[in-house]
Formats: sequence, structure tokens, C-alpha cells
Amino acid sequence: MQANLQWLDDPEVFRVNQLPAHSDHHYYRDLDEIRTGSSFIKSLNGPWRFHFASTPSERPLHFYSPDFDSADFDTIQVPGHIELAGYSQIQYINTLYPWEGKIYRRPPYTLNQDQLEVGLFSDAADNSVGSYLKHFDLDDSFKNQRVIIQFQGVEEALYVWLNGHFIGYAEDSFTPSEFDLTPYLQDQDNLLAVQVYKRSTAAFIEDQDMYRFSGIFRDVNLLALPAAHVVDLDIKPEVKDDFERGTLAVTADVSGTDAILELTVTDQNKQVVASQTQSGTGKVLFDSMPFDNLKLWSPTNPTLYQLLIKVYNNQHQLLEVVPYQFGFRRVELREDKVIYVNNQRLILNGVNRHEWNAHSGRVITMQDMQNDIQTMLDNNINAVRTCHYPDQLPWYELCDQAGLYVMAENNLESHGSWQKMGAVEPSYNVPGDNPHWLAAVVDRARSNYEWFKNHPSIIFWSLGNESFAGEDIAAMQTFYKEHDASRLVHYEGVVRTPELRDRISDVESRMYETPANIASYLENNPDKPFLNCEYMHDMGNSLGGMQSYNDLIDKYPMYQGGFIWDFIDQALLVHDPITQQDVLRYGGDFDERHSDYEFSGDGLLFADRTPKPAMQEVKYYYGLHK
Amino acid sequence: MDYTNNQLHVIYGDASLGLEGPNFHYLFSYERGGLESLVVNQKEWLYRTPTPLFWRATTDNDHGNGFDVKAAQWYAADRFTTCQKIDLTVDGQLVQPLPIAPLNNRYTNHEMANQVALTYHFVTPTVPSTSVSITYTVASDGNIKIMTHFAGREGLPELPAFGLRFIMPTTATGFDYQGLSGETYPDRLAGATQGQFHVDGLPVTPYLVPQECGMHMQTSQLTVTRSTTQNNADQSKQPFSLTFSQADQPFAFSCLPYTAAELEQATHLEELPLPRRTVLSIYGAVRGVGGIDSWGADVEAKYHIPANQDLDFSFNIHF
Repeated sequence: MQANLQWLDDPEVFRVNQLPAHSDHHYYRDLDEIRTGSSFIKSLNGPWRFHFASTPSERPLHFYSPDFDSADFDTIQVPGHIELAGYSQIQYINTLYPWEGKIYRRPPYTLNQDQLEVGLFSDAADNSVGSYLKHFDLDDSFKNQRVIIQFQGVEEALYVWLNGHFIGYAEDSFTPSEFDLTPYLQDQDNLLAVQVYKRSTAAFIEDQDMYRFSGIFRDVNLLALPAAHVVDLDIKPEVKDDFERGTLAVTADVSGTDAILELTVTDQNKQVVASQTQSGTGKVLFDSMPFDNLKLWSPTNPTLYQLLIKVYNNQHQLLEVVPYQFGFRRVELREDKVIYVNNQRLILNGVNRHEWNAHSGRVITMQDMQNDIQTMLDNNINAVRTCHYPDQLPWYELCDQAGLYVMAENNLESHGSWQKMGAVEPSYNVPGDNPHWLAAVVDRARSNYEWFKNHPSIIFWSLGNESFAGEDIAAMQTFYKEHDASRLVHYEGVVRTPELRDRISDVESRMYETPANIASYLENNPDKPFLNCEYMHDMGNSLGGMQSYNDLIDKYPMYQGGFIWDFIDQALLVHDPITQQDVLRYGGDFDERHSDYEFSGDGLLFADRTPKPAMQEVKYYYGLHK
Repeated sequence: MDYTNNQLHVIYGDASLGLEGPNFHYLFSYERGGLESLVVNQKEWLYRTPTPLFWRATTDNDHGNGFDVKAAQWYAADRFTTCQKIDLTVDGQLVQPLPIAPLNNRYTNHEMANQVALTYHFVTPTVPSTSVSITYTVASDGNIKIMTHFAGREGLPELPAFGLRFIMPTTATGFDYQGLSGETYPDRLAGATQGQFHVDGLPVTPYLVPQECGMHMQTSQLTVTRSTTQNNADQSKQPFSLTFSQADQPFAFSCLPYTAAELEQATHLEELPLPRRTVLSIYGAVRGVGGIDSWGADVEAKYHIPANQDLDFSFNIHF
């Protein structure tokens, strides 16, 4: 198969040869490696050879060929944003599309057009191209194994080649993309070639309020797969009505040869509380396991159980071990239209969080994530919405351990397609009811579910942000409802499309609603519990008046709190030649127009992660209803 | 001069009234329309005369909801309000007209009093205009009680703030206050703790766009400490302090190196001028900062400052 540049123009092509999404479990050769690190993983982070082209027509055509002369290529750090490496202009823009006033574009298959517009992105003046090359040799432990390449985040479309052969294509910037390299792999001197396009039709549905970057911005790993391997792990803990007993259902999807799977579950005292052995390949189902005297997972007691699967071959050689920490908790929307977790009314003392680092943009470190978790715990924040895309893989595990509720949001925002200068104007909204955009957004829902389904911290799936609503978004909810009875579905667009009210969200969710209007909703026989998916816009010196939201908690059981906008200012540290200082810059400071300027700075933290003075107010009010 | 009788030495100058005690000397100017000099232990505390304050630098939320435009008159008033009339009272007796030459020819260099009060009457350039009076009542020990009165007037926009601005000649090394922790506003102070707090230097909260910052609500006492002067004959680096304390009600204050206008001017922190003075703003009223959203939502009504009602506040200066 050959790569086709016009996939960039087609909303119906968003994954080619990409492996299916699966759970985010780790796997190791033996128990010792759980401590020391998995020898099945080889990081490809670091310096890569790099070429930048301003437009697709200027890209190096056969750069993926082993005999291509790349002498004029530069070096770039992976992960990193191409813009922050100095190749391309930095831009911050909120709702409008980044090409506002520069290029006239409409999403394919809207405004009664029934065909693609070739060149919409594949031959566009604003579509810069990063061509990346990486040579690697196989470690001994990788030889004669299936080897997968995993890109954890690439903006916004990527093509992959290995040793001159086309491997695959992917969109969905904030979701891992995996491809099987095995057919073209050699032991020595492999040439991995990746071409990253700044824009594709995905740009219409990745219009988040953020800096617009491109490039390989999250980790890249080679993954070796043992002869039998747990590809996917589906852990379904259920809590009984007495909240003291439960059951555990586990399904493992095993690739490769027939395997023997020894499963054990240990509790917090390292006592084995369940064990079972199954064998087979493909879908391997474990019998339901009963649990007594359950310790439930909650923000105040984030109790986790340790599941361990040892995978053996028929000669009883250990092939891999798969540990997973899971928790029991029960999320219910009851007849009284109140959400309960573990038999207690849910109160969200939440915050929206973009991934951010003032030096490196959305390339953030484990330390950044750990700092953010600690800041949340220190200030009585008990919930986080992953606005407006899936976060880095470790984030969810950290939230499980810390006891933070997660609203896990899909990578979806099409703000510019339906709202202009504040007015609702959905004439070319996507995905809308559009059948040509349906598969792409349902795929995003599926990926979000499959990767993160085993995390007790996630209590809501969120269909996306500010994308209006139509049949396509309703189909995303259908996906979640068909796959997951243990969580609720959230979408804020429920307020804009009353006709879809029962098909896109379990909750009434609004943004920046006034306390008076919330009270009015709650006083008038409401059909759904209320939450603020965004409130208390903490731009600059702000966060006054939180008392009025707090009062609603005591007055209305169906008021379930909300998520402050937002956690950290998006601003970039740059050197100022006038003062010779490193200073924080925001939208518009890179000569980019159109921009939304200081609107990038709405955090409870300044961009350098120091808390704003208003944090003491958050800590106080969020401490009143822990 | 002999101060054994613990009285104020009153100097009836031609352009100002001097008030002197063993370790202080104040000049109340007739031509500058205010307290021109506040010297304690040979250290000058004033760069220019204190003036009524009507403006706090606008916040992002103010811009979003258009309050900056609605309140714009107060920006001009903050800068251009002028003193129109001065009343002098010595030991309870109104001295009228003001004792400038030749009227002051009847005095000597040995005039004494137990209490002297001056009231400066300001008129705002707003439409309609209104008046503000600032009364300084000086006791024989040098303590100054300052009473500020704003005459409410129908037809004026709500106020961003109302207070009195003291600009000191050099930067403070820090300040200590009895009040609420952190940066607080009328609609954002529930999370603060009561206590005695020390702040090093004159920190400007590093909001991306410089804006109103550093407010401390419900303060009962504030001591500002400096260690330098502009006096060429004074090389000492010994710290020295001045204290502002509650009279009838607690006050709000900010202590920054910049005026509201300077903060208003900058789009980035690094554009602010080099810190060289101390701007102490003492507030009787502060508008809340709001927070529902940044593109239209108003501050909650109870945290507004209507301009059709009188505003009064007072505090003491001592050392």
C-alpha cells in the first residue's frame, strides 16, 4: 500500500493500518521488571533528523527511502513542538479556526457539497510538514518478535514508513497511534520515517482553545510483543447493593500462541483475595470472582486492588506479567436525579486541566503531572476534566492513586464551525448530523474508552467540547452506553439542542452559568442533575463570588458542583532582548494574527506552576464539601 | 524649640501650614492642595501630596464586561481631580480666611496648638461632578487622623474604588499588616486567614497582563518600612517605618511600586517601569473582581460601589 496525500482532505480517512485501541496496561518479562522497567519497551525519544517544509509541495518526496540523502536535514528533539523548535510561527487562538482571514475553507461534505475538495489541506499554504528520520537497531530482546511502534501523541496527521515501506497513517492528535513494524523490520539499521502535517480535516474537529502546535509531542516507543501477549485487558469490577460485596469480571485479549493465564488479585495488605487460571488465545474470559468486605475507591480513600496476570506458554515458560491496579466504586444516577458515588451524593470540587509547561508547551513531564496532582490535593480539588482531549497515558493512573475523579474527555472541539463572534451560527457545523464525519468522531470515542476503561477515577466520559450537537455526537454517546454501564456520559452541548436532550448527556451541563440561572433550572422540575463543566473563569485577577456557587450545594441536591476554568495559564517563557529576562508571553506575542491574546491565561496557577493568590479561596470553598 | 508642654508648634507660612513636634514635621500646602511633607525622625514619607483615588487598574474581567468603559470617567478623575478649597481649624476654631500674607503677619514663630485640622475639598472632573473632602486632624503627639468623604451624586457610573493614594519617595523594603492572608477582594476573601503578616518588598502579582493586584481587605493596621530616602545628605540605610491603623472601620490597602495608571499602561510585566517609589493606596471601598466569566458577566451586585451614595472612611497615621 502506498501513502496518499489526499487522505488529509478526507474526513473519512483517519486511520490506515493503525492497530486497534486497547487498554493502557503495562507488561513486563518478569516480576522484577515491574520495579526496574520493562525490557519490552524501547524509547525512541531523543534527537531525530528533521526537515521542515512550509507547504506540502515543498516536502522531501522520497525521504523515507533508505537511499535518500538526508545530509541537509537538521536535528530536532522528540518529543517536541515544531513551532517551539523555531521552524514555524507560534499561534494562540480560541474559537475561530487558525486560518481565519487567511484561507477560505469549509469542512468537506457541508453546505450541500457532496464531494471532497482535493487540496483543501494536501495542497495548502498553511499546512507545514515535518519530515522526521530515526535510525535504530534492535536490542537482542526485540529480535524475532513482533514489534509495534507507538506514537503517544502527534499533531495533527502522520504518515509512517519503515525501511522504505509505507506502514500507516493516523489522525487524532491526543490518542496513541500504534502500527505493526514486524513485516519490514531488520535487526540492524532500521530507518523509521515519519511525516507530520500540521493540518488535515481533523483540524475542523481539533479547534480547542489553545496554542496550535504541530509535531511529535508525546513519547515514541518501540514495543516488543512476546509469543503470547495480553493485547487488551478489560477489568469490570462491580459493587453490590450493600456496598460491601462485589464481583470482578476480567477479559483478556491474547495475541499469538495459546497461553495459560494465571490471575491473582491482592488487596492493600498484599493478601491474595482472588485467583484463577484460564488458557487460550483471542478473548480469554475469567469467571466472575466474588469479593467480600470491599474497600471502595473514593477521593478520600483511593483504595486500589492489585491485579496480576502471569502469561505462560504451553511449556509453562513465563512469557510476560501484566499488573494492573483497579478499584471498586459505584457511580449511579438514581431516581431522585442525583448522582451518587458509593452511595454518597457526588460533589465535584473540580478543575479543567490543559497539559501545559511554560518551556515546552504541551510536552509535559511526569514531574509536571505529579506536581499538578499534588497541587490539586493540597487545595481540596477532587475532580479534573481532561479538557479537551485525552491526557498523557500516566495521568489516569496518577488520578487513580491520588483519588481524583476524572471526567475523561474525547479529543473533539469544532467551535469555529458553529459559533462566530459569540453568535450561534451552525451553518457548516461538523460533525453535526453528517454521515461523512461520523466514523471519525465515533473512533475517537472508542479510542478514549478502550485506552482508559479500567480506571476507577474516571466517572464520566465526556463526548467533547463545544462542538454543537447532532446525530454524530449522539452516536458517540451510544457507543459509551453500549460498552460501559459503570460510568455516566457528559456533553455540554445538551443545552443547545433540546431535541437531543436524552441522547447526548446524562447531566445538564453548562458553562459559566450564573448562580441565579442555575437556581432557576433547579427550581423548575429539572429532568437531569446539574454540573458546571466550566465555571469561575480564572482569567487574570478573578475568582470572585465563589460563595454563590457554594450556596447552591447546600440548597439543591441535584446541584453537583463543577470544574473551574482552568488549572494553569497557557503562556510561554521566552527571552526578552530588551530586559534580558526570561518572560512569559501569551497570544499575539509572536506576531501571529488573528489571536485571542491574553485569553490564554485563565489558570489557578501561573504558567510557571506557582499558584495565583485566588487559590486560597478555592482551597477554602472546596474544603467545605469534601 | 521647647516641647515640654506637649503642644504642636504651628508655623503659619505663606503657602503652607507647618506643624512640628519633637520628631515630626508636617507641611500642609495651600498651593499644592494637600499634605506636602510628612517627615518623621528626619525621613520624608511623601513624594507628592496624597490625592483621592477613584481607580484600581482594570482586570481582565472588567474589560470583558465593559466596566472599564462604563467607569472611564473615574480614570480621568483619578488623575485630574483638583483641590478647590481648604479649611483650617486650630484648637476647634475655624481660621477664615486662610491665614496667608498679610493675614499671617500677626503670628510669631512661637505659635502652639493642641489640635489642628485641615480639610481639603476636591471637585471631580466627572459629568456631573462631585466632591471629595479629606480632613487631616493632627494631635499634639503627631498622630494624624484622616477622614475622607465622597459626596454621592446621581448620574455617575459605579466606582472601581475609592481611597487615598500615598506615593512615597523610595521603594519600601516591605510591609507588615494585621488583616487577611494573601491577596483579597470583597468577593474573594472567605479563604483568607486572619493574622499578622509580613511581606518582603513590593510584590506585583504576575498576572499575564498587569492589572489590579495586591489588595488586602479588612486591615486593622499596616506598617510600611523603608531604608532609603532621596535626601542627598542622608546616607543611612537603617530601616524606618510609618504605621497606618484603623480608625472606625478596617480599611483595605495595596502597597505596590506602581500607580493604577502605570499598571493600566503595560501589556506585559516587563513593560512596567523600574520600581523606584512606593505607592500605598488606602481604600474605603473596593469593587469586587468578579469571576463568573471574562466576557460579559458582571461582578455580583453586592460587590459594586454605587456612586449615588456617600462614602466615608477614616484611618490614623502614627509612628
